Amino acid sequence: MEAATKAVESGAKQMHRRDFLAWLSGVGVVGSALAAVFSTFFFMKPRVTFGQPNRFLIGRPEDYPAGARVAIDAKRVCIVRDANRVAAISTTCTHLGCIVAPSVTGFQCPCHGSQFDVDGNVTGGPAPKPLAWYRVSLTPSGELEVDKDDEIATGTYLNV
Amino acid sequence: MSTEKNSMVKTLAELPRNVVRSIFRNPLPSSDRGRAATSFTNFFLHIQPVRVSKQTLRPTYTMGLGLISFFLFVILTVTGVLLMFYYVPSTTQAYGRMLDLRSSVAFGVILRNMHRWAAHAMVAVVFLHMCRVFLTGAYKPPREFNWLIGVALFLLTLFASFTGYLLPWDQLAFWAITVGTSIAGYAPLIGKSLRFLLLGDATVGQEALLRFYVLHVVVIPLAMGLFVAVHFWRIRKDGGLAKPESEPGAAPAAAAFPAAPAASTAPVPVTTVVTAAAPARRFTIQGLVRGPFVKVGTLDEDTVFSWPSLLVAELFVLMLTMAALIAVSFFFNAPLEQPVNVMHPPNPAKAPWYFLGLQEQVSYSAFWGGIGVPAIELLLLVLLPYIDRGRKGVGRWFARERLLANSIFLTFAVINIALIVIGTFFRGANWQFVSPF
Repeated sequence: MEAATKAVESGAKQMHRRDFLAWLSGVGVVGSALAAVFSTFFFMKPRVTFGQPNRFLIGRPEDYPAGARVAIDAKRVCIVRDANRVAAISTTCTHLGCIVAPSVTGFQCPCHGSQFDVDGNVTGGPAPKPLAWYRVSLTPSGELEVDKDDEIATGTYLNV
Repeated sequence: MSTEKNSMVKTLAELPRNVVRSIFRNPLPSSDRGRAATSFTNFFLHIQPVRVSKQTLRPTYTMGLGLISFFLFVILTVTGVLLMFYYVPSTTQAYGRMLDLRSSVAFGVILRNMHRWAAHAMVAVVFLHMCRVFLTGAYKPPREFNWLIGVALFLLTLFASFTGYLLPWDQLAFWAITVGTSIAGYAPLIGKSLRFLLLGDATVGQEALLRFYVLHVVVIPLAMGLFVAVHFWRIRKDGGLAKPESEPGAAPAAAAFPAAPAASTAPVPVTTVVTAAAPARRFTIQGLVRGPFVKVGTLDEDTVFSWPSLLVAELFVLMLTMAALIAVSFFFNAPLEQPVNVMHPPNPAKAPWYFLGLQEQVSYSAFWGGIGVPAIELLLLVLLPYIDRGRKGVGRWFARERLLANSIFLTFAVINIALIVIGTFFRGANWQFVSPF
């Protein structure tokens, strides 16, 4: 009783035990709610995807003759082979996600008419961005590997 | 012995009546007191007030649009649950199950048709309901928050319809969702993460189908049920549907604030005084509660009893909705195209019709069409009741005092509808302008 009176008298800024506990409970409840929201978010964000892998082998460099432009629709990537270099250009349209088809002038989207040049730069239609280029690397076994998680600058080739 | 037999016979003879009386506490009402008691003592009817304003019942005022939205929601829940018994959310099985509905499920076609057309109708009717509320100024204080709930319900309706669109797993579904989620991917910073979270993968596939299924059949309907409950509850707590400021025969506004109910010490009867903050929703003593019964005093408002007036009106709207839906479902089959071929997009690939205005905008400018303009429009919708604080012109269509607000709203509505019409009918291969005629 005396202690309580003292606590009240010793200054207006001092927190009462009851207020402190209420404050602590509030922090606990709000904190738990936030933790629940964040953990749900991380739960919903898949660590492993079960669809097509984003990194895959596309065969040996010799499989692609010089000047070849081979679109692999299932992987949504176009393999471009120059004299001694290789690149992988995305065939997913940057407009609304359709598959673009190689044409004489570059690429043409069948859905909404976006046009791209041979390097994937936009030359017409609604597409807002050029087609992505993906990193191509040579595995120790001598096969080409495309990594669609690794976008690189337009015009970056792998010398083979 | 004989007494026991008699009582047994008597018990048996009274059994049906006793069962009925135990369920329905009141006989069919023949007096005002009975009509009030019927509304008051029935769980489903007590959601509605005992008396409603005649304006509320006027078909030309509400056009029953909110009620039709709710009935469509109920129909969608029922038909949706039935369809769930035959559906498998798997990329290898979903399309086959659609064919099974046609070939080997009794009433499978009509149920799927009803579900499909009711979903399209609900998007349209919820939008029209929003237009009605705007054009009659019904979002004004004290109804601001209910407008917000309504906006949330509109978005949930769109999302419910969008997630359902993927489930048949045909070409139409696959490319519509590919296009729709690509639009979401245009959002700055969060766009790509949002798309990945929604699809559960980099592209539309098995994970996306499962996620859309769970959202479609559990998450969104539950959220909508909750919001609908709050929406209805707020209608009553805000004093029923919006009414014009001055009603014929109503007392002057200044005198229209009844005192708060005093803490009464008398056990029975309990006097219930419904107080209200605004003159437009003034109530007098609603009733005297004694046991399960209600005595209704005289009301100077222009009101009628909910039983039977409101109930008959509601049942009439329900029957019209059902009749129209069944008729449409009888004559028109829900679309089902070829099974998904991820390598052959159709030309043009179109989003669901209610997102075609968005897609049309995206074809002009990716960021502004897909994210910028829709975000501004949504923000205006949300902030509307807090921007437009005038109290004039509530409860009347196209009130002259609201000419500016109504003109701005109608301009937005007409532009959006025009964009949807252009995207739907005037866009052909390569998104070129074509004439549908």
